[in-house]
Amino acid sequence: MMPLFANILTEPVGVAHYLVVGAVLFVCGALCMATKRNAIGVLLGIELVLNGANLNFIAFGSRYLRDSQGTIGLDGQLMSLFVIVLAAAEAAVALAIALNFYNSFSSIDVDQADQLQG
Amino acid sequence: MNFSTLVDNLISDTVEVSLPLFVPELIVCATIVVLLTVRVFRLAEGLLLALALAALLIASGNDWLATPDQIALWIALAVLVVNRLVNTGRYSDPFVLALVGSLLAWWFAVPDGLLGNWTGVERQEIFTGMLVYDSFTVFFRMFLLAFAAWFVVLVRMTGLADREDGQDFYTLLLGATLGMCLMASANHLMTIFLAVEMASVPSYVMSGILKGRRRASEAALKYAVYGAGAAGVMLYGISLLAGLLGTAHLPTIAARLAEMDIPSLIASGESGGTLMVLALSALMIMVGLAFKLSAVPFHFWCPDVFEGASAEVDAFLSVASKAAAMALLVRVALGVSTAGEVNPEPPVAHRAVPAQAVSLLLSPDGEAASDFGELSRVAAAAPTLPTNAKSTPLSPVRSFIVQLLAVVAAVTCTFGNLTAYGQTNIKRLLAYSTIAHAGYMMMAVAAAVQLAGDNPDGARTAVAALVFYLGVYVFMNLGAFAIVAFLRNAIGSEEIADYSGLIRSAPVTSVMLTIIMISLLGLPPLAGFFGKLLVFYALVAASGPWMIALLVIAGINTVISLIYYLRVAKTVCIDPEPAARGPLSIGGLPAAYVFIVALPVVIYGIYPVPVQHIAEQASKYLLM
Repeated sequence: MMPLFANILTEPVGVAHYLVVGAVLFVCGALCMATKRNAIGVLLGIELVLNGANLNFIAFGSRYLRDSQGTIGLDGQLMSLFVIVLAAAEAAVALAIALNFYNSFSSIDVDQADQLQG
Repeated sequence: MNFSTLVDNLISDTVEVSLPLFVPELIVCATIVVLLTVRVFRLAEGLLLALALAALLIASGNDWLATPDQIALWIALAVLVVNRLVNTGRYSDPFVLALVGSLLAWWFAVPDGLLGNWTGVERQEIFTGMLVYDSFTVFFRMFLLAFAAWFVVLVRMTGLADREDGQDFYTLLLGATLGMCLMASANHLMTIFLAVEMASVPSYVMSGILKGRRRASEAALKYAVYGAGAAGVMLYGISLLAGLLGTAHLPTIAARLAEMDIPSLIASGESGGTLMVLALSALMIMVGLAFKLSAVPFHFWCPDVFEGASAEVDAFLSVASKAAAMALLVRVALGVSTAGEVNPEPPVAHRAVPAQAVSLLLSPDGEAASDFGELSRVAAAAPTLPTNAKSTPLSPVRSFIVQLLAVVAAVTCTFGNLTAYGQTNIKRLLAYSTIAHAGYMMMAVAAAVQLAGDNPDGARTAVAALVFYLGVYVFMNLGAFAIVAFLRNAIGSEEIADYSGLIRSAPVTSVMLTIIMISLLGLPPLAGFFGKLLVFYALVAASGPWMIALLVIAGINTVISLIYYLRVAKTVCIDPEPAARGPLSIGGLPAAYVFIVALPVVIYGIYPVPVQHIAEQASKYLLM
């Protein structure tokens, strides 16, 4: 563990640093999805995961962080733009569904969703 | 090459090559726009129809009825005008709009020489390598659009989509179908993600379309939360894979993987980190795919959503969504594991504007913009690879994918069949049956990947087995869920116990339900039998310990599934009718619908040649 962190702290900022932040966002999002009982909290976790991936795309696409051989170039930035738009659309739909759930159950606790099982 | 040349190339490529091959999807888009516009401005429909009429008149010039395509367009326009005129002063019937849109799109999706030799379906990349057009794309587009048309009729007959709110439902349906068509033709990691989301997001809403039902709202919430989570994980995997290999274009990914020469990496023991990240990203992408396929361990949404959503929506999810996910799985699994070995052509987009041209143009060193040196380097690497069977650079990729798919398929199949036992709700039972069938179909994909390296013809046969399976599965599951929906309207229950003795009051429906159950089980002489037989044959052809193990597991599973499918048949046909149930009427039209949908199960069981032929044509240009 130690050499890895030592490298990251001493080296100039490169792709690896962005990847670490992206990975932290991903793990936070995954934890949030797994532990939050509030449907809105779970949706927030999903947004974190998507943004972790976005950060990766941007870092991999940047020409300042990698030489032109390894970079995915504009593809990375385009992909993250598409993901941002898609995340907004998905959030709109998921919030509408959460509202619909609230109308039926008077709660957005995902543990209340236990009518269907077996 | 300067910027304006690039733009010129891009425009000519898009307009002259890509768009003509994309007509069915464009028609679906236009139908969605019309449905939404009519929803907002009631008067807009007349205006749009007048515009379409003018456009058609100008485009046809002096030859009004020169081609069958023109005749189809005229008929569609005439139907829409009549639909508008008979509904003056109120919303025109959205059912007609949706049906005409999907049928017209289907008409343009059918290849030349449907029952003979398909022509004009050679593999080519469209939209600068974002999508791929080949016989496989053509088949799935045709399949999905035909299913959409049947489904529009079904939801109209069961009353799920009425005149007032129908526009919303049909919009969601066509939007999801559009996403599924893209899933079947995806050739770039971004299109994969976008297509999966385009197919999923409308499905979330469709599963909760019944307002004020507790179960429907719960199903929609579960589906949306799990689905969005799985898509997020898949996107993270995509970002890792694209970053590691420096490209998101599937054939280029295969070329880069071949360049990396994984066997020597493993042998040298160095860069274990790279391999670990590769495996991790593959697993993460598999999470998203497994969710769409409802494969264990990402199947748990499936029974809940199927029970909570209405039976019609279940039919859509279990047929269209599953078929598109299978097509995407084939695209990804074969796409990343075969370039350069069976493919004599350069795998990179070989047309005027290659996939990465834009990124190259703007790359910092500036000289890459002047030529395609980088691209030709990548392209040239592929054909010079050694082609002897066992030590090809991509064989570790293949064996990784085969083992992953084999394990998931075996567990999915067994789990689905074992859990289906205790179910009392018919929709839940069919949900587990869907999971089990996804397992059988994934076995065919595993066999195809195994064969892809040194026997492309065998791989094509395995994919043809999958296509045949889907081609008969659509009739079985659409029929089964249509029966469940019609019976729900008639007796108000979806419990298997309430179906007892139905054969006395609804003979046609009951006989068809029994036939479908026996076909799902896979007994001859019904169509389901041939589907299973072809998949098993593909497993035998692939050989090797993994495939034989899969074959044994699939055989045992078929025996397990005997009991629960036959239990439904027994309840319907043999059990006495309950005294409490009053007179029952399904109606003539629904019975006719069920009859027509389920009839191919019998016909193709006796004479499977047409479906088999179409399946062979569909996989003809795969791996080329």
